[in-house]
Amino acid sequence: MTAVSPPLRRSRKAPAWLPYVLISPTLLIVLVFTAWPTVQAIYTSFFRQYLNIAKFRTPTFIGLGNYRQLLTSADFHEVLRNTAIYVLGTVPASIVLAFLFALLVNRAVKGIGLARLSFFYPTILPMVSAATIWMFFFTPDYGLFNTFLQSLGYHGPQNWLGNPHLALLAVMIVAVWKQAGYLMIFYLAGLQNLPQDVFEAASIDGASWWTQLWKIAFPLLRRTTLFVSTIAVIDAFQVVDHIFVLTQGGPSQSSSVLLYYLWQVRFEDQNVGLASALTVVLIVIMLAITVTNFLLSEREGA
Amino acid sequence: MGAKMRKRLTNFLLNLLTAVLALGWASLIVWAIVVSFRPSSEPLGRGDVWFGHHLTFANYLKAFSLAPFAIYYRNTIIIVGMILVAQLVTITLAGFAFAHQEFRGKKLLFFFILLQLMIPAAALLVPNFATIRKLGLFDTTLAVALPYFGSAFGTFLMRQAFLEVPRDLVDAGVMDGCSWWQLLWHIYLPPSIPTLIAFALSSVTWHWNEFLWPLVVTLSDKSRPLTIGLVRFTQLGEIGARWPLLSAATIIVIAPLLLLFLLFQRQFIRSFLHSGLK
Amino acid sequence: MTRKTVVYFVALLLVLSMALAGCGQKATPTAAPAATQAPAATKAPAATEAPAATEAPAATEAPAKPVTIEVYYPVAVDAPIAKILKGYIADFEKQYPNITVKPVFAGGYGDVKTTIQTTIEGGGKPPALAVMLAADLYDLVNADYIIPLDDFIKASPDGQAYIDDFFPAFMANSKYDGKIWSIPFQRSVVTLYYNADLFEQEGIQPPDSWQALAEAAQKLTIPDKRWGIEWPSGWPYWLFQPLAIGNGQNIIKSPTEVAFDDPKVIEAVQFYIDLSHKYHAMPEGVQKNWGNAPADFAKGAAAMIVHSSGSLRGILKQANFKVGVMAVPGKQPGTYATVTGGGNFYILKGVSPEEQQAAWKFIQFVTQPKYAADFSIQTGYIAARKSAYDTDAMKAYIQKVPQAGQIKDMLQYAGAELSCMNLGKVRNIFHKYLQAAYNGEMTPEEAMKQAQKEADEALAMFK
Repeated sequence: MTAVSPPLRRSRKAPAWLPYVLISPTLLIVLVFTAWPTVQAIYTSFFRQYLNIAKFRTPTFIGLGNYRQLLTSADFHEVLRNTAIYVLGTVPASIVLAFLFALLVNRAVKGIGLARLSFFYPTILPMVSAATIWMFFFTPDYGLFNTFLQSLGYHGPQNWLGNPHLALLAVMIVAVWKQAGYLMIFYLAGLQNLPQDVFEAASIDGASWWTQLWKIAFPLLRRTTLFVSTIAVIDAFQVVDHIFVLTQGGPSQSSSVLLYYLWQVRFEDQNVGLASALTVVLIVIMLAITVTNFLLSEREGA
Repeated sequence: MGAKMRKRLTNFLLNLLTAVLALGWASLIVWAIVVSFRPSSEPLGRGDVWFGHHLTFANYLKAFSLAPFAIYYRNTIIIVGMILVAQLVTITLAGFAFAHQEFRGKKLLFFFILLQLMIPAAALLVPNFATIRKLGLFDTTLAVALPYFGSAFGTFLMRQAFLEVPRDLVDAGVMDGCSWWQLLWHIYLPPSIPTLIAFALSSVTWHWNEFLWPLVVTLSDKSRPLTIGLVRFTQLGEIGARWPLLSAATIIVIAPLLLLFLLFQRQFIRSFLHSGLK
Repeated sequence: MTRKTVVYFVALLLVLSMALAGCGQKATPTAAPAATQAPAATKAPAATEAPAATEAPAATEAPAKPVTIEVYYPVAVDAPIAKILKGYIADFEKQYPNITVKPVFAGGYGDVKTTIQTTIEGGGKPPALAVMLAADLYDLVNADYIIPLDDFIKASPDGQAYIDDFFPAFMANSKYDGKIWSIPFQRSVVTLYYNADLFEQEGIQPPDSWQALAEAAQKLTIPDKRWGIEWPSGWPYWLFQPLAIGNGQNIIKSPTEVAFDDPKVIEAVQFYIDLSHKYHAMPEGVQKNWGNAPADFAKGAAAMIVHSSGSLRGILKQANFKVGVMAVPGKQPGTYATVTGGGNFYILKGVSPEEQQAAWKFIQFVTQPKYAADFSIQTGYIAARKSAYDTDAMKAYIQKVPQAGQIKDMLQYAGAELSCMNLGKVRNIFHKYLQAAYNGEMTPEEAMKQAQKEADEALAMFK
């Protein structure tokens, strides 16, 4: 994403205003649906407004009141904690699996195409469809996920979606299942671009497969990993569709994450002011991530 | 000998691992398909979660009768189609301007557009909802599609693609006195078609699957896409856990994309590789 | 070559989508298409239906000018509600030729409310009439969306008799501030379903107390094969309420006062937990099985379930044994309890008095005993009026499905559904801590104390 300065050209007759016209549709969309709403969210976050209560329907300026409410809200703290667990859990898990998948399917074995297909197809399913199927897999007593775990000797609780210690994990499992195959393709592309002689040299040395992996391939794919982590982190914040299907944030708010909570506050509680404050929090987090990534990849010389 | 044996063993173990994982990953879709043909008179239970006594299409018919999936299909196709057409036009034009033309404020404007990559639309749900209300578009397919009519990522991709067009070609075109749109149409666009296709495939997939934004800006069946229809279906009063019926509904929603994907696997994967940053 | 195919495909897609966009626009004005649809919340209020109006004024009236009203309604059960309503409307319009009724299917209960809310906020005109949750009363009043019905009732010839004919349990969610705000329509109650064959086989009587319920459940449990009882708690307040009521204390006292931390309520929470922890007769913790439970019951994987009366039809269709229905036993022997649910008719603000008048006529019309009985028979809802049960059709139906009559008789034990100011918030608070107690994260006492504290805060601004 480096800003390569493009060659200076201009076809002879193009009028000076032409480029502005050409970019205007895109500019307009960004202006109306990215820039303006950011400003608007900051502005409305200073007001109290409940749409479902007549006497609080008119916005009243309350300064930092909404932010103060967030700071003291037990729900918000729990949601932040859940979000941290969700992101810090799903991102590394997806990346490690993605890398493993890439290595496994990057071998010339008969039928490997099927394996690649199997790992990748979740990418093109809508998250809500995937979650609907998972809902059955998580069913106590006869859900396939439980049956499978039992066959491995698991005898813990089976009530994945109703247990406060498991609900968030269940939601995370679905996210990892969905995303690992998507991230895999970046590693696959990365692996295929690696010089093959590195591997050949290594196997002459008798380096084991695992050594090849961790000592040689993974470091060479550092840039891919950086790129992949960024995608994974951003997605972890933006994709909450499965929560709507699986747990609705419950039980007792234990599987609610930031974006889902934002939706609840705005569209269930109809609390516009607080929802705007949450929007600002989310924007700050997203900007921090993208800017960090930008700086990191600059340093890597991407 | 020992080394060879070890290598064979390693390979065997790797194949086994691959097979187990692949089966695990595939089990969801396989199960959904199998159960969608199971008679609804045979509820699933312990040790009984696979084929029924015979195969039936009844679940599909029932799903269609309980919810207007045909209308959801229409809406999804309209939404995805509108977005695609708009995006292909806007990103081509903007990409061309940024690649080929020089103008005041170019860098700043380019950076401004990239804002869209830095603040994902999902975060702006609340204010964007307010905007849609103000525009009077609430509960229309256009409301679902409009915010995506411009794409920073697409613009970026097209600019890169256009920059790779050999300079000689462009210069020759300029010499011949091509107008800007002739240059774009005859010289820049043909070699950039693969990029457009890659972008198009990921755009279609992404918007076919989108949930949260349409959930917020649609309210009635006249505008609801498939994803929303499916979730509402799963919550339908007495549908509860009639899994064969739910599976059928799920398959109805995912079938077109899944088929396309099976047919054009390589293009899809390439497209997703290209579009890592949405 | 494949690339070419893709190009063609994309082109095709474009053309197709544009063509479809064309039809889409044409289709738009015709308003909401049909088809059953789902309630937003998982709860799924259930069933029964409605009221019989005082034998509607026979002769066709001929008021001055024609009026058209819209009726927004939800579908929350697996029944062809749209078709049924259309039939009633046709009859109504025959009798009132100058009134046109346009039914608008809006989705689930949540959708009806959201649709109205967004319409009013956007400065649009709401429908004259809507079916919304009975429990939403205070929220609708606070939002200033609805009007009281007392003037209409007074103006009707048999107004008071008409109101008195509705089961008092259903009217409980209609009154506020000395006024009547809604008319019961599609109503249901919490029901304990039991496998009567199994009970007979094991020589167990239908339970008449908490103790008896727990013991029966325990006796009928076969580990890894059958639960004594399933009691969904994914959206728990509704199915929990009979326990509190059965211990002599509903969780709600007034529109601004809840009784979450009352010792009797706490004891009820403890009893629910005991069914799993002490008697091992019920799955532990929060049971997210609203959807699974009826199937489990019909399959014999649960000997009893607590569910909506609206699930009766589905259960009878699947079960190959004798299905018993009853109210949930109370703590003391011989006491029982249940709670009502479902939707009522509301007349909205922001439409002309003529339309409101027409809406009232429509309410009276479809709540006539004849229609109330028919609606109940066709949908599984409880008919909201007593006189509906005197109709021949209803008598014949109860002859055939005695459970429907038994469910109606449970109304004598019914308390009011949780309904208060700021309902969404208060209900979420209650859910959060009730589930925390079910899951053993907090003791029932800690949980309910905390729930009370937060609910008091949420209600403070309405006092």
